[in-house]
Amino acid sequence: VSVMAEQVPPDSRRCSYFFLYDGSKVRGEGDLTREGICYFYPEETPLDQQELICGQLAGVSRCVSELSFSPVRVLRLRRHKFAIRVKDDFFWALGCPVEVPSVSICQLLDQLISLFCFYNGSISLSYQIHSRDILAARWAQYLSRLQSGSTDLHHIFSCLKTIDSTIVDPLLLLKAALILQACQRCPLVLAGCILFRGRVVSTQMFPELTMKVMVHENETYKKVTRPSSSSGWFGGVSSTTVFLTASELQYLQLTPVHKDLQLVLSFSSQLTPAGDSQPLKSRLSRTLSDVGSTDSDLSDPGSAQVPQKGSFEVAGNAVLCPVVSQGATNLASHLNGKQMVEKDEPQFHRCQSSGSDAHGGEQTCSKDTATIDLTSRGVDTERRSCDKKEDGTTAQPLGSGGSDSQHESPLIPMMLYLHRVKGLVLALLVEPHFLNDSTSMEEVYHSSLASLNGLEAHLRTMSPGVPGAQGPPGLYSFAHYDSIQSTLTTNLSAGGGAGAERPFVRAASLLHSHFCTTETLQEAIIRSASAAVYGTRTVAQETYFQQHGGTLRNSGIPNHQDSAFLLPSKARHRLQKHGVNLL
Amino acid sequence: MKCLLIASESAEVLFHWTDREFQQTVQQQYGESQEEGQGLPAFEDSISTLFAPIIISCSTMVDRLHESYTSFTTENNHVYVLHQMDEYLYIAVNGDGEEGEDDLRRKIYVLKKMIEVLFGMVTLSSTLLRRELRPQDTVHRARLWRHLQTLLETYCHLQQNDQSFLVEAVERLIHPTLCEQCIEFLERRLVQQLNSSVERAGEEVLHAFILVHTKLLAFYSSRNASTLSTSDLLALIIMVQNMYPSNMELEDPSPEEGESTSGSGHESFYTPEPSPTDPDSSGSDEARKGGTPVFEFVDPDIQMAEDSLQTLEIPPPDPSTPRRVFLEVSLKEGLYPMMPHSMYCLPLWPGITLVLITKIPTGALAMSVYKYLEAFAKLEKRLMEGQEGSAASRGQPNMHEVRNKLDKFIKLLGPREIQTMQLQNVWTEFKNRAFSRGGPGFNKDLIPWCKHMKTQLCGIYKQCFLTDFGPGHNSQHLSTSLQERAQAMVQEKLMDWKDFLLVKSRRNITMVSYLEDFPGLIHFICVDRSTGQMIAPSLSVTERTTSELGKGPVAQFIKNKVWKLVSTTRHYLQKGYSTVTLRDGDFFFCYFLWFENESGFKLEAGDIPVLPDDFAPIGMLAWDYYRKLLRYYSKSHQGEVVKCYELLTVHLGVIPAEIILQHCRQLASRLWEPTRNPLL
Repeated sequence: VSVMAEQVPPDSRRCSYFFLYDGSKVRGEGDLTREGICYFYPEETPLDQQELICGQLAGVSRCVSELSFSPVRVLRLRRHKFAIRVKDDFFWALGCPVEVPSVSICQLLDQLISLFCFYNGSISLSYQIHSRDILAARWAQYLSRLQSGSTDLHHIFSCLKTIDSTIVDPLLLLKAALILQACQRCPLVLAGCILFRGRVVSTQMFPELTMKVMVHENETYKKVTRPSSSSGWFGGVSSTTVFLTASELQYLQLTPVHKDLQLVLSFSSQLTPAGDSQPLKSRLSRTLSDVGSTDSDLSDPGSAQVPQKGSFEVAGNAVLCPVVSQGATNLASHLNGKQMVEKDEPQFHRCQSSGSDAHGGEQTCSKDTATIDLTSRGVDTERRSCDKKEDGTTAQPLGSGGSDSQHESPLIPMMLYLHRVKGLVLALLVEPHFLNDSTSMEEVYHSSLASLNGLEAHLRTMSPGVPGAQGPPGLYSFAHYDSIQSTLTTNLSAGGGAGAERPFVRAASLLHSHFCTTETLQEAIIRSASAAVYGTRTVAQETYFQQHGGTLRNSGIPNHQDSAFLLPSKARHRLQKHGVNLL
Repeated sequence: MKCLLIASESAEVLFHWTDREFQQTVQQQYGESQEEGQGLPAFEDSISTLFAPIIISCSTMVDRLHESYTSFTTENNHVYVLHQMDEYLYIAVNGDGEEGEDDLRRKIYVLKKMIEVLFGMVTLSSTLLRRELRPQDTVHRARLWRHLQTLLETYCHLQQNDQSFLVEAVERLIHPTLCEQCIEFLERRLVQQLNSSVERAGEEVLHAFILVHTKLLAFYSSRNASTLSTSDLLALIIMVQNMYPSNMELEDPSPEEGESTSGSGHESFYTPEPSPTDPDSSGSDEARKGGTPVFEFVDPDIQMAEDSLQTLEIPPPDPSTPRRVFLEVSLKEGLYPMMPHSMYCLPLWPGITLVLITKIPTGALAMSVYKYLEAFAKLEKRLMEGQEGSAASRGQPNMHEVRNKLDKFIKLLGPREIQTMQLQNVWTEFKNRAFSRGGPGFNKDLIPWCKHMKTQLCGIYKQCFLTDFGPGHNSQHLSTSLQERAQAMVQEKLMDWKDFLLVKSRRNITMVSYLEDFPGLIHFICVDRSTGQMIAPSLSVTERTTSELGKGPVAQFIKNKVWKLVSTTRHYLQKGYSTVTLRDGDFFFCYFLWFENESGFKLEAGDIPVLPDDFAPIGMLAWDYYRKLLRYYSKSHQGEVVKCYELLTVHLGVIPAEIILQHCRQLASRLWEPTRNPLL
């Protein structure tokens, strides 16, 4: 019996192996392989076996990359497949059971590495500063965090846990968005998100970044909040240093906040002038208190709420989903990371672009870059893997180019400011000196405190159970993935994907891989003797549907009356009540 | 950038094939000096140095973790597929995006199949096969490798251009009257005459068939012959194509094509001219004799200069010498794989070939060897499982019975040859250990002796059917005059049809006849997996000829879509999905696999086994997936003859799905209607 097979955890966690190997520690003849092993999961693996796996995989990968002049991306064994990343002397490998799509496992490894870098800065520096044990504990923490998906579908689609918008009053979402926008008026605040019990309520950041921020929130949620020295006098506030890549920073600075804010304000018929004429402080507090009162007016389920619902949703969504439009990306791709790298520069730059005219800021940036080499690759990192124009093999190296440059480009230290009110957390990415600027801090803290309390109180009463348990299970299974917002809506039970739901998950996994590798594919129906699954996708979404019950009577011959071919219309009909609109 | 190699566990390269690009890459890594060196051995060394760490890592993984690599993918999309079969490691590489993991795995299996057809049961002994695949004599090695390389190239060319090799089923020429006449002719005139001639030297024609390019015009099997499996038939077609390549473009050559093939373009890997280094090839000799014309598709001088192997050329043997091929024989008492046959390829005109498969007089010996091999393999298995003593010896087959039979068998062989003496010695030693009173008897210590016995038996087999067969021993076959007579008879019969056939083979059936009934239908492929036959409108995509799909890029685009569709649906089938519909760009694709009984009644769809990704490829050539599928499905339909069909369609996306499905249904029933069935 295979040793490797024995070690597959019984609960079929997504990851069965993960290790980081530092080849620079094993150079000489007498050097032991164990010297190079920075971290190995599962930690209980005998050391000689760790050495064997690390040594062989790293060795064979090097050999292959020398033959092909390119690093290995996916390495498959009979029972496991490994996503591989190489950066200088560091070699990462993440192993999963072979059923997990290559697309997903590569994404997971990249996430894991970027998560580490987000909290610790560059890999090589981290290992110079900290002991292996400390960093090993962090790898373990990030790994367990990324594996915490509730269904097998979460192993296929990398997604954010969001608050179930169908059971939350849209006004609350709007309120959350407004709190974030108000905070952002402090020039030292880059962007933020509001989380409730480990779920996203509202975010101004793109999904990958929100995901990273959530890891810390999750940790502090468990522990007793320990305020950092600089902010000891604020209750529930803590902070930690984080590191952004140049492209992440650029992206945050380019988000057209002001435009969105104005949109929101006009929709909520608040007469707040958007100009800069008013003093900053009064504007901050006034906006928030105004919204607070509006909220209390409307929060009782009265008729006033109904007619406005539509418009609020529009505004809410606009804020919830930071624009990942092609335009923004193109713009970002013209910018260069270099000016952000010099540590004095960002502040200057930040002040420029956070002026009243966002456009002006952009122009400044473009002018700066004209003299510097353009490295547009970094921006690709943030693009969805499925957008890649690759057609062919199943094992596509996803986001390959992007992730590389993500590691190569120097990281810029920033602060993550967290303000906790019971289950609710306001997380803000701020300039490092924000914490020394007591005026700004006070402003942000006091102006948001009341609103946060109010929001918390509402959310506590409004979110009843675990979202996801929507729709009658047993009649049909569905999964709807929004690749722009990285959200997954499904009626699979938590811990699902076993038993009767297994065929659905398997089909969704196959179809997802197919969609990812075939750009032109729009719709598919696949049928085995026991299950027929329908999958459809647009640029932004993927939807999978399976009808249960009723015997699938078929002989496999083409027949237009066959129930399998009625799936598209059934899906359209059924999913409408889940807020999924299939055209 | 392509490469395929077979390595032993000790990282010795037993065979390699590389395209020019890969060769250049290797040479770059080892400096130009190597290039001017000894040619072949130098390159071989580079290859083995480059791959050695990978091969060694593979065996370490197997030994210590019981795991093995199946594939690597690099960031620039190079794909490596590794496959361990017996004691050999096959590695296939693609660096130009033309082949995916599945294609490479298929290529590995096809190479293995071709080796089995060429070496038969010698493949069952790794010691012997190693010696066969890598002869000490470099000239001999170069010749053998060149032969395998061209076979592989021919296969790749067919797989990429011929629909029947895409879906791995035989395509027949659709002309019922002519086909019927030809079959009758083969039966009543040709085979009868050959088998009653005294010049046949003990051989007996079992199968006779006429190929027009890759399509079957007529196929006749004599009454006492077992069925020729689709897998074997497809392998034989590859061999015929390798000897007498039919390049469609050649029939109306255009200047561009001439240039592209003589240059270093990617097409140059396909060498339609039979390799002069090939010992068994009759091509160049035929040309010299002025008999049948042979395509001179590559300028021989250029070929000579480009191919360093040419320097190792030796004169080819007599063209009338048949090829030894090892094919499956199914008899009432059981299935015998890799039984020796002789294959005669008689070219009638360019593109049209008559193939005769004969049973050789000593064929029965092969069956005995196979039975003994099986007996020792089973004994070995029982001993490995821990059975001892009489439990091991009395199993099926009973070793005491085997002992008596084998004693007689060895006596019959006669002690004249060294090989027989060796077998005798090992057998005596085996008997001493297993049967004598004081001996250790049947226990684990006997396992190595089972292996020795198997090696010795394979040695006997090799001596009888491989060594015996070559220059000097060519008396035992249909006489040259008999072959010439057969050739002339069929030529005479088909003389008036020859041009028609060549055109017909290119446009076997055309979409035109279906357009009226099936508006919006662009293409379809129908396969009868029970008989291993397929039917599809022609998809010839050449620069010069305008197909129904239009010219150049459009036709090429659709062709690519069809090829991609086949690989996609195979992937779903491997995972248990027998129906697939896809809306892809402006097209709508359908795939159906279903079962019927003999009277055409549609049977309920059954569960199809879910196979791992690195499993043998789905098809009929290298590993007969469909035969196993049919056997699996038949278990739940005992007493019924089960048939299996597949239908692939490509429609315009604007056609409503309901209409498309109706089309599929109509096509499915129409194509296999007995009265309209053009396949039989």
